[in-house]
Amino acid sequence: MDLEALWLTLRLAASTTVILLAVALPLAWWITAGRGVSRALVQSAVALPLVLPPTVLGFYLLIAMGPLTPPGRLLIRLTGHPLAFSFEGLLIGSVLYSLPFAVQPLVAGFEAVDRGYIEAAAGLGASPRRVFLSVVLPMARVSLLTSAVLAFTHTVGEFGVVLMLGGNIPGATRTLSISLYDLVQEGNYDAASRTALALVAFAMVALIVIYLLPSTRKSDGRRADVVR
Amino acid sequence: MEGGLTLSDSLLSVRMKHRVGGVALNVEFALTQPWTVLFGPSGSGKTTVLRAIAGFVRPDDARIAYGPMDRVLTDTRGGTFLPAHLRPIRSAAQTAKLFQNMTVEANVAYGMQWSSHPEDERQVLQEVLEKMRLTTLAGRRTETLSGGERQRVSVARAVAATIAYDGVEKPLLLLDEPFAGLDAVLRDELVVMLREWLRTWKVPVLSVSHDAAECYLLDAAVIRIAEGQVVDQGPVERVLAEERRRLLQRLRGGIEAG
Repeated sequence: MDLEALWLTLRLAASTTVILLAVALPLAWWITAGRGVSRALVQSAVALPLVLPPTVLGFYLLIAMGPLTPPGRLLIRLTGHPLAFSFEGLLIGSVLYSLPFAVQPLVAGFEAVDRGYIEAAAGLGASPRRVFLSVVLPMARVSLLTSAVLAFTHTVGEFGVVLMLGGNIPGATRTLSISLYDLVQEGNYDAASRTALALVAFAMVALIVIYLLPSTRKSDGRRADVVR
Repeated sequence: MEGGLTLSDSLLSVRMKHRVGGVALNVEFALTQPWTVLFGPSGSGKTTVLRAIAGFVRPDDARIAYGPMDRVLTDTRGGTFLPAHLRPIRSAAQTAKLFQNMTVEANVAYGMQWSSHPEDERQVLQEVLEKMRLTTLAGRRTETLSGGERQRVSVARAVAATIAYDGVEKPLLLLDEPFAGLDAVLRDELVVMLREWLRTWKVPVLSVSHDAAECYLLDAAVIRIAEGQVVDQGPVERVLAEERRRLLQRLRGGIEAG
């Protein structure tokens, strides 16, 4: 197995997960509290990577981060190099691509928190931020863990976005899934099967962890599906 | 009046119209007593009034003001709606929503965190636990409690938050059926204890009840609500005279039958 690709994949997945949680927590809380057209709009935008071919997302990001657009030019000036075909570019792509996997379990978890607890805390003088941190988040901790595991796992498994955005640069953008593709192209089926098996085993373990977590229960006893 | 509590003419003034479920609420009242009870049958809109005062319900048309300075909490016409946590109000709902990730003691201390006198807090916390008969349960997790114990933690939590409140004015304590689910002996003890104790802290209370005996024990001012309207208000001896007569009759009947 390509150890450099393994290390890169793990680094990418860990960074993506950290950024995603920072983005997904407020976003999911906003979706939970929101209503109407703006909520539907944001939910749709978040869920878009679920239905789009990864290549479409990769294509737009390639354009957006390239020298042809103002944001792309700004990014190039800030980092000193084009983001496409770099680790940072890959990171941005991964964050967007795995966004629904981080946000949706959190929304399900937050929605399962009985409003009565939120009102109880507010009735004791807790600000919305305190209510979120001291009441909502602890009650939704299983969803938080699910969200992190799914974001990490999904990033490990991505292929299309990486290929479009990062290409195949060893140590910078060649992840395990790309390395597997390469090995098959080369006809190296022994190495390919080892890589594939490692990916399957990893995904399986992650999913077992999620399904072993105590389920988030709604106040009426129904199970809130955190894995959709 | 005992206790030496001096109050301005109106502690809390409420004028509110709100349609909820099948009830068209239309109430207007002012609190002038240290303990006032909204009295009425279930479904009459008592809880909604309490929730509107707390800031959990946005009434269709209302003006709610509190304290000697007549601080406006809700004024739909003037476009004022103070968020619940910024109101000079502490509350406990009818169903005890205890925080499961905390012990009994941590629950009771929850609303004291934002007080700026942490050294006094410790003492108040111990006092609240003791008076609400929770000292032996302090370290317990909330899911192991009985219904009555949960209710006591919920009330204790609101009382502790009220006493620890930092603002210039004493906050109003809202209690929705605080003694429901307690056995009669303990309930009577706690009612009398809270009445006296909150008077010494000069904490005004507005509670909800449909138990006439409780209102008598509290020596409360009573606002009687039926089908969303205030139908009577005044001292308990007058407003609930009929309930008292029926209660006594029932007791006598029981004695004669026995």
